[in-house]
Amino acid sequence: MSDSTIQTEDSADSLPIGTTSTWARMHKWLKRALYICLFGLVIEGSLTVPVMAVWYGWPTLSLTEICSELMKVRFSNDALECQQPYPLGGPPFGGAPEAAGQRTAKDDWGIQPKPRYERIGFRELVRIHQERIARQSAASAPPNH
Amino acid sequence: MTFPTTAAAGGPLSMGEHEQQSRAIQRRADRWLIAGTGLMGTLVLGIVGLPVFCRGLYLLRKAQRGGLSVRPTMVTLIGFVIILDAALNSIGWALDLFANHALITRTVFTAWGNLIDAGYFWHYNELWIGGAGAPGEKAWVMVCVLIAFPMRIAAAIAFLQMKRWGHQWLIVTCWFGIIVWMGYIFNMTMYADVRYTAVGFPVIGWWAFNIFYITPFLAIPYLHTVNREIFSD
Repeated sequence: MSDSTIQTEDSADSLPIGTTSTWARMHKWLKRALYICLFGLVIEGSLTVPVMAVWYGWPTLSLTEICSELMKVRFSNDALECQQPYPLGGPPFGGAPEAAGQRTAKDDWGIQPKPRYERIGFRELVRIHQERIARQSAASAPPNH
Repeated sequence: MTFPTTAAAGGPLSMGEHEQQSRAIQRRADRWLIAGTGLMGTLVLGIVGLPVFCRGLYLLRKAQRGGLSVRPTMVTLIGFVIILDAALNSIGWALDLFANHALITRTVFTAWGNLIDAGYFWHYNELWIGGAGAPGEKAWVMVCVLIAFPMRIAAAIAFLQMKRWGHQWLIVTCWFGIIVWMGYIFNMTMYADVRYTAVGFPVIGWWAFNIFYITPFLAIPYLHTVNREIFSD
């Protein structure tokens, strides 16, 4: 088999394969925007879980405690706790979800429901949790005569 | 499939050697790119995956400069970033659909919901199927995780293999993205009270988080203007 080489004619601006000069500028800017999206996706993805955890009180509160506190706010019921681990028979395997049949959530119902829970600020769950623990211990402390 | 190239600096390669070297470096780069995208697609290991992915890009760029016939950078970038986009959406929504009672899901999703989009906080895990209970949300989750994103990932893989059907179907599935985005946003808007009342960063938070998922819309102009002869059957 004889050797053969492949050569192109040199062009003043060597364009990527598939890009014609008409679209070269657009392709360049699309590529830059794609790099921004790539880095943006990765950085925000890596930060999502840590930021959420810290915003809602980790490590002062454990993940289970954060889950329980959010559940109390969500359904306006201080008695609710996140069952951990949840039985394997739960959704999607046909068992009841954790909030099945709840009746305490506060909403203005109508064609467009409007929730009535309060906004939670940065690490406010820690304060809410500690205040409730203090209230419960004060309530259960023996009265002084 | 052959690409015109300039002769290598050290002297001309035979066609066979050139193709062999090109294929070898392409496979080597793809191993890094695939591993990197796999790690980035897990969301939490993203920061580990990014340098792995960039190593693959670097190998491709070096091969291009060396005159070898490798996949164009733009095709590589579009293909893998679209796969990453679909994977990140899918991991979130697959957890909401199939693992909504895991501790990490219940904690992180309701936290995210409380901070950014109360569709994932309001009455979370009250539906028989569990997960987000906001009006219309489950329907979008299911159509995306079960249909839209798998189709898009399959098309992107074929696109990376420089197949003609990959190019065509990536166009189709990226245009699906217009329907998905608009339908999802219109639904959120109709039920804005549910989605944004008492949320940490209403509206702005959602857009700041989701703006990076516009990659299919960046791909569409390229897919329509690239010379489709570079994709073969």
